[in-house]
Amino acid sequence: MRPPWETLRSPGGHPADGPPATVDRMSSDEKPAAPRSLAEDLRARDDGSLAALLRARPDLITPVPTDLTQLATRAGTRASVVRALERLDRFALQTAEALAVAADPAPYEELSGLMAGDAADPAVTAALPRALGTLRGQALVWGADDRLRLVRTARELLAPSPQHPSPTGLGPTVQEATAGMSPGRIQELVTTAGLPTTHDSVSAVTSLMTLFTDRRRMAKLLAGAPAESREVLSRLVWGPPYGQVTADPAAHLRWLLDRGLLLPTAPGTVVLPREVALHLREGRAHRAAEPLPPAVEAAATHRPQVVDATAAGQAYTALATVEELLKDWDEGGPAVLRAGGLSVRDLKRTAVALDVSEPVAAFWVELAYAAGLVASDNEADERYAATPAYDEWLEQPPAQRWTRLAEAWLAATRTPGLVGGRDAKERTLSALGPGLDRSAAPEVRHRVLVLLAGLPEGTAPAAESVLARLRWERPLRGPQRDDDLRARLARWTLTEAELLGVTGRGALSGHGRALIGAPAGKPAAGASSGTTKAGGRRAGSGVDASSAPGGSSAPSSGPGDTAAASGPGDKLPVHHHAVPAHALSPLTPPEQAVASAAAARLLAPLLPEPLDHVLLQADLTAVAPGPLQRPLADMLDVLAEVESKGGATVYRFTPASVRRALDSGRAASDLHAFLAEHSRTPVPQPLAYLIDDVARRHGHLRVGATSAYVRCDDDAMLNEIMADKRAAGLRLRRLAPTVLATQADPAALLDGLRAMGFAPAAESAEGDVLITRALAHRTPPRTAPEPVPDGPPTPDPNLLTSAIRAIRAGDLASTTPRKPTSADPAGGELPRTSAAETLATMQAAVLTGETVWIGYVNAEGSATQRVIAPIRVEGGFVTAYDHTADEVRTYPLHRVTGVAELADD
Amino acid sequence: MNGPLIVQSDKTLLLEVDHEQADDCRRAIAPFAELERAPEHIHTYRVTPLGLWNARAAGHDAEQVVDALVQFSRYPVPHALLVDIAETMDRYGRLTLSKHPAHGLVLTTTDRPVLEEVLRSKRIAPLVGNRIDPDTVVVHPSERGQIKQTLLRLGWPAEDLAGYVDGEAHAIELDEDGWALRPYQKQAVENFWHGGSGVVVLPCGAGKTLVGAGAMAQAKSTTLILVTNTVSARQWKHELVKRTSLTEDEIGEYSGTRKEIRPVTIATYQVLTTRRKGVYPHLELFDSRDWGLILYDEVHLLPAPVFKFTADLQARRRLGLTATLVREDGRESDVFSLIGPKRFDAPWKEIEAQGYIAPADCVEVRVNLTDSERLAYATAETEEKYRFCATTVTKRKVTEAIVRRFAGQQILVIGQYIDQLDELGEHLDAPVIKGETSNAQREKLFEAFRQGEISVLVVSKVANFSIDLPEATVAVQVSGTFGSRQEEAQRLGRVLRPKADGHQAHFYSVVARDTLDQDFAAHRQRFLAEQGYAYRIMDADELLAES
Repeated sequence: MRPPWETLRSPGGHPADGPPATVDRMSSDEKPAAPRSLAEDLRARDDGSLAALLRARPDLITPVPTDLTQLATRAGTRASVVRALERLDRFALQTAEALAVAADPAPYEELSGLMAGDAADPAVTAALPRALGTLRGQALVWGADDRLRLVRTARELLAPSPQHPSPTGLGPTVQEATAGMSPGRIQELVTTAGLPTTHDSVSAVTSLMTLFTDRRRMAKLLAGAPAESREVLSRLVWGPPYGQVTADPAAHLRWLLDRGLLLPTAPGTVVLPREVALHLREGRAHRAAEPLPPAVEAAATHRPQVVDATAAGQAYTALATVEELLKDWDEGGPAVLRAGGLSVRDLKRTAVALDVSEPVAAFWVELAYAAGLVASDNEADERYAATPAYDEWLEQPPAQRWTRLAEAWLAATRTPGLVGGRDAKERTLSALGPGLDRSAAPEVRHRVLVLLAGLPEGTAPAAESVLARLRWERPLRGPQRDDDLRARLARWTLTEAELLGVTGRGALSGHGRALIGAPAGKPAAGASSGTTKAGGRRAGSGVDASSAPGGSSAPSSGPGDTAAASGPGDKLPVHHHAVPAHALSPLTPPEQAVASAAAARLLAPLLPEPLDHVLLQADLTAVAPGPLQRPLADMLDVLAEVESKGGATVYRFTPASVRRALDSGRAASDLHAFLAEHSRTPVPQPLAYLIDDVARRHGHLRVGATSAYVRCDDDAMLNEIMADKRAAGLRLRRLAPTVLATQADPAALLDGLRAMGFAPAAESAEGDVLITRALAHRTPPRTAPEPVPDGPPTPDPNLLTSAIRAIRAGDLASTTPRKPTSADPAGGELPRTSAAETLATMQAAVLTGETVWIGYVNAEGSATQRVIAPIRVEGGFVTAYDHTADEVRTYPLHRVTGVAELADD
Repeated sequence: MNGPLIVQSDKTLLLEVDHEQADDCRRAIAPFAELERAPEHIHTYRVTPLGLWNARAAGHDAEQVVDALVQFSRYPVPHALLVDIAETMDRYGRLTLSKHPAHGLVLTTTDRPVLEEVLRSKRIAPLVGNRIDPDTVVVHPSERGQIKQTLLRLGWPAEDLAGYVDGEAHAIELDEDGWALRPYQKQAVENFWHGGSGVVVLPCGAGKTLVGAGAMAQAKSTTLILVTNTVSARQWKHELVKRTSLTEDEIGEYSGTRKEIRPVTIATYQVLTTRRKGVYPHLELFDSRDWGLILYDEVHLLPAPVFKFTADLQARRRLGLTATLVREDGRESDVFSLIGPKRFDAPWKEIEAQGYIAPADCVEVRVNLTDSERLAYATAETEEKYRFCATTVTKRKVTEAIVRRFAGQQILVIGQYIDQLDELGEHLDAPVIKGETSNAQREKLFEAFRQGEISVLVVSKVANFSIDLPEATVAVQVSGTFGSRQEEAQRLGRVLRPKADGHQAHFYSVVARDTLDQDFAAHRQRFLAEQGYAYRIMDADELLAES
């Protein structure tokens, strides 16, 4: 991307050649001191560049900062810097990474050296000012060219540390790596490296560093290294720079360690110091600097007419598919899942109905949803249904209908490609459901289409090269993956564009080009002069020069390339592009409206003209050799079954379909007239016969609902009733000479007829005459109600005996004065005796047959008092007749708190 | 953008026949697309994997197919379809069956993963032997047909380069004296011979026997001919003696009554499929001589056991002949994979236009059931319903009316139910040929009919096939085997032999209105309707009133 701020400074890199434009502007006032902070640097910038900064990093103005200091602070926050770094292209990011391993501040030469290497790769040197400009403009780098500073947060993020190895694969500097080393050891290193000893460690480290950065002396030093040592270095040179050594390293390692070419970081670990690595890399911070975006390669080339026709054909299919989808949902669409969205089964059903695969069905459903043509009805029994907007949409001309879909697709953040996958919580993502929004989608879509527009007309890109280009423009920090979101979005964009008819056979169509506001005709690279109605405003900015295939290597006449190729020292003012900043971002709504209108104009003539006739054949089929006018299509849909779809439609007439047409209120003569009118050939005899045959039987039987009837064998009497004015209220209708029907209920009918002086008899459903007496209302068989007694029933003697016994026992337990025992505390409490005493008393009671009083704690822990007559004591249980419960029970002895004899009467 | 072809997304191709480029287009798409329907205005072709692979086998490539579609298409061809065609065609030829000098029949691949995939299939495993090298595996020679069929089902059709055995040579020449093979017959023989094995589809009465004779004259080797029944076998023999250099003695009949094996042997399907104690004793016939050519007459009737045995005969040239390659059991693809792909197919109407078969007027006469019959029909058991409506007495009246109308012409009355036929025979005073009629009696009656001694013949389904009655001009069908499409076509075929005076043939199908009979009739007529035969529909009253 050509950044906006490129225009703000000259590409000159050498301060000696002249100060950069920004500085230049200020120099007219006074010779400024070099900025001491980012805030000061920002303060020195003009409004244009600040605007560019804020446009590139919109997070900085929410909320609007009070002053530049605050802006600078905010620009230095971690979140904001991460965001800015993630939006850099690969070369700018590489430049930032190089700055992070350079000195702080670093002069331009050092940066240039790191990027271009000792050989000063001309492509890199040429591109570097642009990248630096990007970083400066984004307020990631500040300071003049002699003191370039990466903002601290960015430095921290990008600088190598053992935890976060730098993408450069460089290790710490000599200074950093020797920080904890004893002065004696440092002097040893210096000596072994062939340098004079120094007074202190600091100067020793400096002299070591000076040696490492001196290519000539370093080469000499390494020339003396054993081959194995050099091999070790070559293994570490491109990173990761850390290696393992044993406590007693081999000779070739020792050779390196003794000279500080490897420095210990922790026991058993050594690192290749940055300076040494840079020497071995001939100064390059990156194995491969990528100053230029990879070109989008052509996979195939078709004639533009073929592309446009194919895309238009597909565009028409898109319209037909959406229409078919919503027609399918016309009478009760699928239900909305509780969590929102379409169930897998409904999606499958839809896919079958549309005769497409499920992912494609998901795309159409989501497209209709994004275009506002379908939505949930929000009723209690929630279903999807077409919106009123759908009816409006149907009325529009086809080209407009298409642009409506295409616009919705371009702007949608919903990504149908995710349907069927799982979210972070392992829930299946359903079509129309939540969790499908990906904010990057519109931008990626737009970007992919812009890249396609950069190819010559009719050229289909190789998908991989598109992905490579996107990866260059927005590299992932960290490990590169093939299936990151942006790559997947890009792939989906390519397939969806094909489905929608934006592209045809992989190449961007004319109307697709217009849709994204790219100028038609030649590839956009050289299009700064070629303007069209649609793309005029954005001419030259819609697509940047560098996206042209091959534009990377062969500088074209484009102004951008001139600037890039002229290199440092070129003081010529650079051509200013108007607003290229959002070549990356989709069009604004008004711009899109203009572009869509242009697309519609291009598409309209390519869409097939609706026909007003079909071909009728004797095998009871009708073939519509193209799209039909809507009324004709609607009628045929009723009158015949669709057998095959596509460019043409094959209909088959069946008795059922003809009956359907008759049901919808057409008479056989209407159908004959309709077919005769729309057929170019005579209506085949079998078809005419079929219609007549079905019509002959249609309505032969009639079905209706009635509430009561009058029947009489005497027609005359019924005539009389019908003629009677008083019968008007009964709304009688004559079904047959001897039958009248009415909507009135039978009782009202009887009353009415009686009032008229007749003597009607009622009939049962079976036709028997109902006797009036029998008319009394009866329930189905019912049992007589059980009488409800006034109080509880009188108890029987057995019950009484038991009850009294229980009452007595309870009474006994609570009122019997107890023999005071040693363990018996105050009255009312549970008796407490020792276990041995309890056992002895129980056994005694068994022998004597006495009744005793116990305290007992049940399994729930509640304590009760019981009066029992022990029968047996064994195995830790006592079996006794419990007077309180009036039954024989068994108690575990350990639950018995104590036992007391009952006081004698 | 104004071609005659419309490519549908369901892979059907609609060809507008009245378009000026229609003929060019037809020629371009015929190699790979199957003609499915040929009514008057728009012909429907279907692109199937089988068709595409046959096209590959015949030397066409995906580029040609795509070009043909794109060139003639009226609307842009869906990209997905083009991709699909390319991918499908690309599957052919990854596997090759060939003869290995040391190992005999081998399956080789140019794409190792494909071989891995198919070898992993359970159905392939028993058919192959040792793996010779990573790309080659031995195939048991007897499983050549089986493996081809299975591979086809797996979607990886094998290219068969193993060739054919020549068989025992036997001199056969066409005896073109006063007649000659018609152009389409020559074309059919040529296509067959070029392709090695395959099926020739020609309308009834278009001279399939002569195509067989032509093929024999090409092969010049011993030939086994399989036919449907004895009468047909005799007709073949008669025809071969008349049209070729073969003499009576060189042609043997292998049927229920005679078991002759001669250089040219004509056997019936019935005798081949006779089973005794679980074995087919007569299948040995296939091995009894070194046949150079095997001819299957009415190949659409090929019974299952013969299917199985045919799979083992892949090294011999096979020619299938049929008028109607529709099987209600849907096993058309087995015919293609075992006998061979369709080598020649001519739409009926095209042959009719060339004057080789008589033009036919097809009429469906709808009769009403009488009130009592309606009641009987409504209360009949499901399996009895068809019988009830198909044998209504009104049909007899209509049949009599038709016979009266065409008095003097040769009329066939064809039906399914013997009671009905007997009754008709009685009322029309015509002989009835049914299953129990002896072969001698049948031949006698047919001969009398040919000679014009009898003008009305009532026949059951025994006369559906291969009965050559060139003089029949009117056929009245009163009932049939439910919804069988090929039966309908075969019955129409009985009257399609070109007439000496060139006049029209008439085919009447008498159908009971608003009953199963009508539904079955609609289904039966589909094949002919798709071939472009339009049925007129008449009411019985109309017809009775006319006569």
